[in-house]
Amino acid sequence: MTASLTGSMASWVPLMPLLLVAIGGFALLVVDALSDEHAELATLSSVVLFCAGALAAVLATGKGLVPPPSGVAPYLAVGQMSQFWNATICCGAGLSALLAGGYLHEHALERGEFYALIVFSAFGAMVLAAATDLLSIFIGLETMSLGVYSMVAYRRGSPRAAEGGLKYFLLGSFAAAVLLFGSALIYGATGHTDLAGIGQSVRDGHANLRLLILGMLMLLSGLTFKVSAVPFHMWTPDAYEGAVTPATTFMSVVVKTAAFAVLLRVILTCFSDELSASLRTGWPGMLAPMAAATMILGNFAAARQANVKRMLAYSSIAHAGYILVGVVTLYSGDEQVRQTAVSGVMFYLLAYTVSNVLAFGSLIALGSYAKEAVSYEDLAGAGRRHPLAALPFVLGVLSLMGFPPTAGFLGKWYVFSAAIASGNDLLWLVIVGVLSSVVGAYYYLRVIVYLFMKSPEPGAAIAVPMRSGYVVLALVLSGYFVLKMGVTPAPYIDLALSAASKLG
Amino acid sequence: MQIELGHYLSLSAIVFGIGAVGFLVRRNVLVQLMSIELMLNSVNLMLVAFNRYMPDNHAGQLFAFFVIAIAAAEAAVGLAIVISMFRLRKTVHSDRADTLRH
Repeated sequence: MTASLTGSMASWVPLMPLLLVAIGGFALLVVDALSDEHAELATLSSVVLFCAGALAAVLATGKGLVPPPSGVAPYLAVGQMSQFWNATICCGAGLSALLAGGYLHEHALERGEFYALIVFSAFGAMVLAAATDLLSIFIGLETMSLGVYSMVAYRRGSPRAAEGGLKYFLLGSFAAAVLLFGSALIYGATGHTDLAGIGQSVRDGHANLRLLILGMLMLLSGLTFKVSAVPFHMWTPDAYEGAVTPATTFMSVVVKTAAFAVLLRVILTCFSDELSASLRTGWPGMLAPMAAATMILGNFAAARQANVKRMLAYSSIAHAGYILVGVVTLYSGDEQVRQTAVSGVMFYLLAYTVSNVLAFGSLIALGSYAKEAVSYEDLAGAGRRHPLAALPFVLGVLSLMGFPPTAGFLGKWYVFSAAIASGNDLLWLVIVGVLSSVVGAYYYLRVIVYLFMKSPEPGAAIAVPMRSGYVVLALVLSGYFVLKMGVTPAPYIDLALSAASKLG
Repeated sequence: MQIELGHYLSLSAIVFGIGAVGFLVRRNVLVQLMSIELMLNSVNLMLVAFNRYMPDNHAGQLFAFFVIAIAAAEAAVGLAIVISMFRLRKTVHSDRADTLRH
């Protein structure tokens, strides 16, 4: 009796990161209603997210990972891979909450609901990344997106925020409707809503092919919208620019991670048979040109921006392209190559999370009330006046550029080498990726040039760095991981590899 | 005339198409929101129709309930954003939202 009770208690352990975040979100709402000090909400939300992330990181190693309660299994996978995604998502969301603690206070925008939105959106992202059923994919996607729409439109008095939020909301709901229509078609074609059942039916050839292909295309379109791949990227620069910077950080790291996680899972469990994973007849034929277009357009458009936030928005599009190369590599029939590709994408997203937090966090740190740093001109000379505030920015852009020995370099290395290992069919994609990241070097280095080698125009408004323990903590944490993952990547890539071999 | 699965699917596809075209053509945000509702409801119709012809479980009908609930949540957030934009710009036309340009 006691043994079975402890046994059933233990089976909840793999769900703890999810439950912790959900309970933390409700606790935040209560604390917000009862107290009028907002600073503690930033502490509380980041503590909740970091605790959940740390727990997920431990579970991702496979220690203490037991099968979840029976009702959970058809809808959510809580194995090593999901825990890795949970850890990445919680890390990105927790760092965004820290940045929000500094930014919202400095710019007199502090309202408690922002932290609750971060935590609930992170919960949606975790559900999405763990989803193994079309239903839980849709619920996770919407839970995440509804929070993010609100975060983008959060700054009430700003027309830009309302406009960014409106554009993101309209296009996002349209994409969700397309994804849903695709899900319904797949259900009709196979008779299943769970991914495993769909995959079985596709492999057996029982599925109605016409409905299935249409459904697959619509489902993948809906998901690639969320990762802002070309041609579904139009909302990205506007939403990123209109949103308050911590919300931009959250969108660029957490939403992208969760969307790629579910994209990988859908492809691996449902569409890995020979017909649908062929370069000519299946999804790789759609995703490979998409990856190339995303890398090219993202990098060239980023090079033309005068606004650093918009530049980082296009840079996030370009990064989506690099990661898509890793996703396309899953067409390979070789199990070894597929696992390398999956672990490469996982490592890339973790590296991208900390690098992007570093870049956006430094942009936040370099501005203060009514003197927000947004354009390159605002950064002019800031590195010479405030070297300590500019240093993390340098590290962040170097990592985004893929400069060794940073985390970003190894992320690109793993993804591209997996693509090369899959054979000659993807060589062109890797060449496009390497050439377009050379263009990327131009606009990332431009940040450093402006920081250290330019002087502000006479009479121009000069951005003054803010003082905030929260922002400093976020920068120190992300900077530490950018260097640590770049210098000693072995524990992280081993973790990703062992998670990729299980697919749970 | 016997109503078959094909009829339901055609109706659903037509409603989805009307919604999609309405979303892309109309510039009034409220009409665009209604178009999205049309698209979601066409999905509901299709889910329930598929379930009618594959009665092993209730996955399709279950799915439709969740879609209805989430559509309501989506409309709530959408209308809040529209109101916030209307207060600032005195318009509900999405092509008048053009402050953000590269």
